[in-house]
Amino acid sequence: MLFNSFEFFFFLPIVFILYWFVVYNNIKLQNILLLIASYVFYGWWDWRFLSLIALSTLMDYTVGFRIHKAIDKQRKRRWLWVSVIFNLGLLGFFKYYNFFIESWIDLFASVGYEFTSTWTLKVILPVGISFYTFQTLSYSIDIYREKLQPTKDFVAFAAFVSFFPQLVAGPIERATNLLPQFLQKRTFTYKAFSYGIKLMIWGFFLKLVVADRAAIYVDAVYNNVENHDGLSFIAATVLFAFQIYGDFAGYSLIAIGTSKLFGFDLMTNFRRPYFAASVSEFWTRWHISLSTWFRDYLYIPLGGNRVAKPRWLFNLFITFLISGLWHGANWTFVAWGALNGFYLILEVLLFKKKRKGVVNVLLTFVLVNFAWVFFRANSIENAMHIISEICTVPGRLYIGSGDDITASLYATLAIAILVLVELKKEYFNTLFSISKHKFELVRMAGYAFLIYIILYFGVFGKSQFIYFQF
Amino acid sequence: MMQKEYTKSFIKLGKFIIIFLIADLVLGVISKQLFFSQETGKYARANHAINKTDAKVLILGSSHAHRHYVPEVIEEELKVSCYNAGAEGQQLLYHAALQKMILKRTKPELLILNIDEDFLYYSKEAYDRLSDLHPYYSDHGDVLQPILGLQSKLVDFKLFFNAYQTNSTIMHVLRYYASPQIDYKGYRPLFGKIKPSVGSIDEKESDNKDKKGEIDQNFVTALHSFITTARDNNIKLVFVTSPTYKPVDHSTNESFTHIKAIAEKEKVPFLDYFNAGQFTSIPELFHDPSHLNDDGARLFTRDLAKQLKKSQN
Repeated sequence: MLFNSFEFFFFLPIVFILYWFVVYNNIKLQNILLLIASYVFYGWWDWRFLSLIALSTLMDYTVGFRIHKAIDKQRKRRWLWVSVIFNLGLLGFFKYYNFFIESWIDLFASVGYEFTSTWTLKVILPVGISFYTFQTLSYSIDIYREKLQPTKDFVAFAAFVSFFPQLVAGPIERATNLLPQFLQKRTFTYKAFSYGIKLMIWGFFLKLVVADRAAIYVDAVYNNVENHDGLSFIAATVLFAFQIYGDFAGYSLIAIGTSKLFGFDLMTNFRRPYFAASVSEFWTRWHISLSTWFRDYLYIPLGGNRVAKPRWLFNLFITFLISGLWHGANWTFVAWGALNGFYLILEVLLFKKKRKGVVNVLLTFVLVNFAWVFFRANSIENAMHIISEICTVPGRLYIGSGDDITASLYATLAIAILVLVELKKEYFNTLFSISKHKFELVRMAGYAFLIYIILYFGVFGKSQFIYFQF
Repeated sequence: MMQKEYTKSFIKLGKFIIIFLIADLVLGVISKQLFFSQETGKYARANHAINKTDAKVLILGSSHAHRHYVPEVIEEELKVSCYNAGAEGQQLLYHAALQKMILKRTKPELLILNIDEDFLYYSKEAYDRLSDLHPYYSDHGDVLQPILGLQSKLVDFKLFFNAYQTNSTIMHVLRYYASPQIDYKGYRPLFGKIKPSVGSIDEKESDNKDKKGEIDQNFVTALHSFITTARDNNIKLVFVTSPTYKPVDHSTNESFTHIKAIAEKEKVPFLDYFNAGQFTSIPELFHDPSHLNDDGARLFTRDLAKQLKKSQN
């Protein structure tokens, strides 16, 4: 089920009412309800893959106990490896198997050995697999590191793994933060309810108005690279920067807002990333739950920055390379990750002090956009073509044809609203705020107007969230 | 304690919903006012066809109708008023809805439906573009509900909101206020001629090979409904296909042969201009491979009008 579907519009109030009015005084029943709701939410897309979530849940629940009960470090490590191999094996099979086979075939073909593969499989990528496998993996690792005790409450654990607001596209929660919330009594407060609704409204604006409007122009240009010039590619890339931000930050906000309605606090996933003054700062503001996951479970175990400089730089690079691969089984994502790793290495080598100011913000925005070309392009060849056009032929700016022209204008208008709101939050947070206005009528009218804008300017075609494919 | 929080939340939520509904009503009235005040552009043409025209000959169809039928020429030849209600990119579901909305108010003598060969093949766009009908939902809900219901089961709920009814129309309104189009009774001419090199034999063949689709039963039903509605209102109906630059072989096009069979069974005259010798492969008459330019459109309309005149006598 998609957040931007009308099914969700009915699903959410039903679960909410059952949760707070029918099973409100029993945590166990609330968790059972959340578990059932989460499986319905996921099964709406494809019920067959529920078995994978169930299997992953069962495996890490069992492994968690085994790690905890193991009498020595070696046995603990052995059980940890069971979890790592299982989760990464699941991910590897469904997400990367065909990619690696095809890449090997291409590699052999490039040196003259042509053969037809009979090894590739017709497998569908289960939605959200990258997210829930990382979440369950962190549970086992944290038990191994003795940061967390395994829970005996299987229902609570299963509900934690499959919690519907963040199941398919994050934020990737740590068991240390989310699991305890399933084990304690949740209380309903007006403050959380109201804040949750506000976050959801803003999330829907980001998704339906900013991202889906921008997508119309971006798709028109990036899916027909032969027919466009440098200027159009620049415009499409900048629009893509806002499309992916609106899409993913929008999803995260709806997820966080929905969780608040049920008395749960999820971690912040985006903090106005395009106001970062360096690429390293950008990564402390963009997809924070993934960046910190890689930091805690890959970068630091590799030695982080507490090693010799060459090794430190290697650690940075490899972390971003793997992060790129996590995003998708395509060389474009690997190139995107490598480019980000390269930016970070350059920053370590060239700058000793923390960078600040508008010029650095703009420079970072340009660098991040350059990397987005690889992220969005359909192939490495397309990305190289786009970059060469940007660098050599300004050409004509495509403004769309027919209704696409108005779509581009709506996207620009929506992005202007987004930038102004974020600019105010970033630099002038104490200034006038509709959401904090002393008169309730003003606050409510502000959000009512925002919903009107969503209904009036939004795209309602049940479009997928980009991060579902990761 | 929790009880107090529930009560507070639901009272505030109630207030918020009321404020939103008031905002939707007020802003919706303004946006509808703007929408229906348009004088040029695609919505203005649809508004005119639905709410104003009393033309005796009405033309419906996609861009091929919109760009190929010159009302002025039909009026000259047949001596009756004519309006072109063709709409770019729209397909049978839209035309069936438009026909019903128009016929609620006026009864033309002749309806010409320009047939596209792929009209019966499933197309996602055909459903997506039905959103152009949303602004008429308040006044024509009875006609539109069954058709828009094919696009979404929750159509009544969605279109309850005024904001959704006029979704994404403001830029269009502003655009045509800023730069109005000249009105030719719904017809919009294309100028310039096609490059003779476009549409070689190879391209033609590969095009035909690629043309495969699945017949959508909703579109078949819409075509039957279109015929029945015209018959029930005693309106003469004619199906016409427009000339294309490249010669085309539609004998294996399931959609096209199905439409022809329906026309034959229902005794709807079918004037087939595909591969018409006086147009095919003449670059001076075409703007692109599937659209006539103004010269081509005038020549085509005159020929068609003469055919219609003949059939009247």
